Amino acid sequence: MEEPEYADLTCTACGRTAEHELRHVGRLLATTTCTACGHVVEVVPRSMLTGYLHDLEHRVTSKPVRMVRRARRDPLRFARELPGALLRQPGKLLDELGTLLRGR
Amino acid sequence: MTGQPTPPRAALVLLAAGTGSRTGHRTNKVFLPLAGRRVFVWTLDATAHDPGIGPVVLVVRADEVEAAQAVLAREAPGRDVRVVVGGASRHASEWSAVQELLPSIEQGEVDVVLIHDAARPLSGPRLFRDVADAARRHGGAVPGRRQPGLLHRDGLAVRAGEAVGVQTPQGFTARELVGAYRAAAEAGFEGSDTAASIERFAPQVRICNVPGSSTNIKITYAEDLFLAEALLARSSFDVRRLGPGAAGGS
Repeated sequence: MEEPEYADLTCTACGRTAEHELRHVGRLLATTTCTACGHVVEVVPRSMLTGYLHDLEHRVTSKPVRMVRRARRDPLRFARELPGALLRQPGKLLDELGTLLRGR
Repeated sequence: MTGQPTPPRAALVLLAAGTGSRTGHRTNKVFLPLAGRRVFVWTLDATAHDPGIGPVVLVVRADEVEAAQAVLAREAPGRDVRVVVGGASRHASEWSAVQELLPSIEQGEVDVVLIHDAARPLSGPRLFRDVADAARRHGGAVPGRRQPGLLHRDGLAVRAGEAVGVQTPQGFTARELVGAYRAAAEAGFEGSDTAASIERFAPQVRICNVPGSSTNIKITYAEDLFLAEALLARSSFDVRRLGPGAAGGS
């Protein structure tokens, strides 16, 4: 599970525009929690699997273009960070899949 | 070089200053990730291949200029986007953007200004074209969708076709827009949206209604993010497949 993000959104339960905690699995939104009333909107992890795989396919196919873009923007930083990023990818993907299969 | 003059284009103003909190660690909702991109970047994607859309002005809060530039460098490299600081109200932010565009308008490079809420990421390319074309023909254009089934406060139903839910982008001929905003500044008037200032200070401009799009949702509720994500997935993350003229988008 990625680090949460926070944003002001309107809550359908309490009607207030309040800070919401947003948690993602990969690029997909998994849960939102209204910090004012605790109302949670979530996608059942297993039901996210199809969408996750569709998104993963898009992530993988668009990766070369994104890598070239990053390399052009800052070649030194790209070269410096590439080994670490490559090493982190399998663990990151396993963690995402694990979250979907085990539940949160 | 053919020597042909370049036809004037529509400028796009993306309003991102008026949403979210100004304190703490919260993210302005237009900077939230949505299917791999920040919310406002999907609009840049939708308009990227339209030669009729020219300069883009992104209006953000003063403390978000750096973040905006970093997102643009990462997610919209090569796109010419001017980042300007907005004001305390929507009207003030629009005025900041119009002032940024003044030289292009006065030189005749920009003939129409499209003002769009950056929290509406799924308008699709066609709506921008439709609004720009209608604004050129009539002076102003606002997309809207009929809202059936609405009730008055006293419980009586609004007759079908009477109520229209207004969307953005709203488009206006550039010179009339500048005139109206200058007059509004002199009068100390702050309109609730672009059309309000035009109606008051450029009454000669006819504002026509352009059919809006069912996918043109505004990220307001938490659930809107799930919906936007699902709509993007359905279009294979190609925002050009959304909006009027796209399957299921009208």
